[in-house]
Amino acid sequence: MRFCRVRSVAEAVDELSRWGTEGRILAGGTDVMPQHLRGEQSPAALIDISGIDGLQGISEVGGATSVGALVTLRRLATASLVQLRHPALAQAAAVVGAWQTQTVATVGGNVCTAAPWADTLPALLVADAQLTLVSKSGRRRMSLGEFLAGPGATALRPTELLRAIELEPLGERSAEGYIKVGRRSAMDLAVVGVALRLSVTPSSVVSDVRIAVCGGTRPPHRVPSAEAALVGTQLVDGRLDCTEAGAELASAAAPERAKAAEYRRRVLPGLLSRLAERCVAGISGVGS
Amino acid sequence: MPGAAGEQSVSIRLIVNERRHQLDVGAGETLLSMLRERLSLLGPKEACCEGECGACTVLMDGAPVASCILAAGSTNGRTVLTVEGLAGTGELTALQQAFVSHAAVQCGYCTPGVLMVLTALLEDTPDPSEADVRRALAGTICRCTGYQQIVEAALDAAQLMIRAATS
Repeated sequence: MRFCRVRSVAEAVDELSRWGTEGRILAGGTDVMPQHLRGEQSPAALIDISGIDGLQGISEVGGATSVGALVTLRRLATASLVQLRHPALAQAAAVVGAWQTQTVATVGGNVCTAAPWADTLPALLVADAQLTLVSKSGRRRMSLGEFLAGPGATALRPTELLRAIELEPLGERSAEGYIKVGRRSAMDLAVVGVALRLSVTPSSVVSDVRIAVCGGTRPPHRVPSAEAALVGTQLVDGRLDCTEAGAELASAAAPERAKAAEYRRRVLPGLLSRLAERCVAGISGVGS
Repeated sequence: MPGAAGEQSVSIRLIVNERRHQLDVGAGETLLSMLRERLSLLGPKEACCEGECGACTVLMDGAPVASCILAAGSTNGRTVLTVEGLAGTGELTALQQAFVSHAAVQCGYCTPGVLMVLTALLEDTPDPSEADVRRALAGTICRCTGYQQIVEAALDAAQLMIRAATS
């Protein structure tokens, strides 16, 4: 195995086109290294992109938030720009592994590994994340929803590098959050996780809802039928009735017959209600 | 083993405990293996090898990392601090001293990792709450103490450091 240290995106895509499926990108390495140490992966080359400065930034670009692929989970959890504009993402990043993991694990690694239990992905989905993928032959943009084709299998081509993720920040009279349930309160994978973004009109009618889930066997995804059940709902005494949306969420997001799915079906409605309560309280002038 | 068969090596320069090093490390070699087997720094411990238990925790550019799953090759240009570097001047740090006075060490296997993550916490959050300390400890497993003495030692050390800084 070779260790190829690259210093720029141009060098990275050169190495990727040279190694193709034999090359493996190394960013924080929190998935790649354990897989290598367990003998599950034996690429011909590790392409170390961790030193590429151009993939590190978080910035505001034309009303959107641009997050470089190498931004670490610790930075997502603590950066005030993310806490303010993307609170669900900050909350999700803060509950991945422990501090030791968050120091090096990157948002780009989370997206490209596309684990079904990845906490950050529902939070990125409710911000309508758009990915910029680059290769020697150019660049293309794709929504995160399209990118996540199956568990561990994404639309990423072997010669492509995820460069940046563009997010739609919270608008006015909007709030969002992320909640997960694991076996322990830290250092554990999500059995189920939910991100919710909610917007209401000045007359307290729900105008926009985005719900995304992780856990289960499918890659993280939005749940349009549960979203539709909440749109148009009137808040009564600063409360949002999530009964119908919760039932819809449970059946759409955990349809399998397995016991684990049965558990998720029981947990999901409660998680949605708690998130909705938190969101409503966070939208000023709506909560009673 | 550093430099396993079939692995090409890569040259790195880094600072470990304030000393500059230039090393050739294996492509799949971990930082932990490099520290223990090339630099004879036996403070960071090998236990789970999966980044789950925290016994191998060291600081990289001031932040805690699980050195058992960090590629040594990617530490080029970085600054690493292990438990051996804490008492570099010969005197225990306030945190180490508090561990002694609170009997926060039993078998000692987790102690080097726990000291490193708490050192980072006290740098980051000089006056932490008990919840802050417990959250910081989430990635370091201790099977002896039940954490209580460790938490008390960390809170005590924080107060000692605040008093020392303001007096």
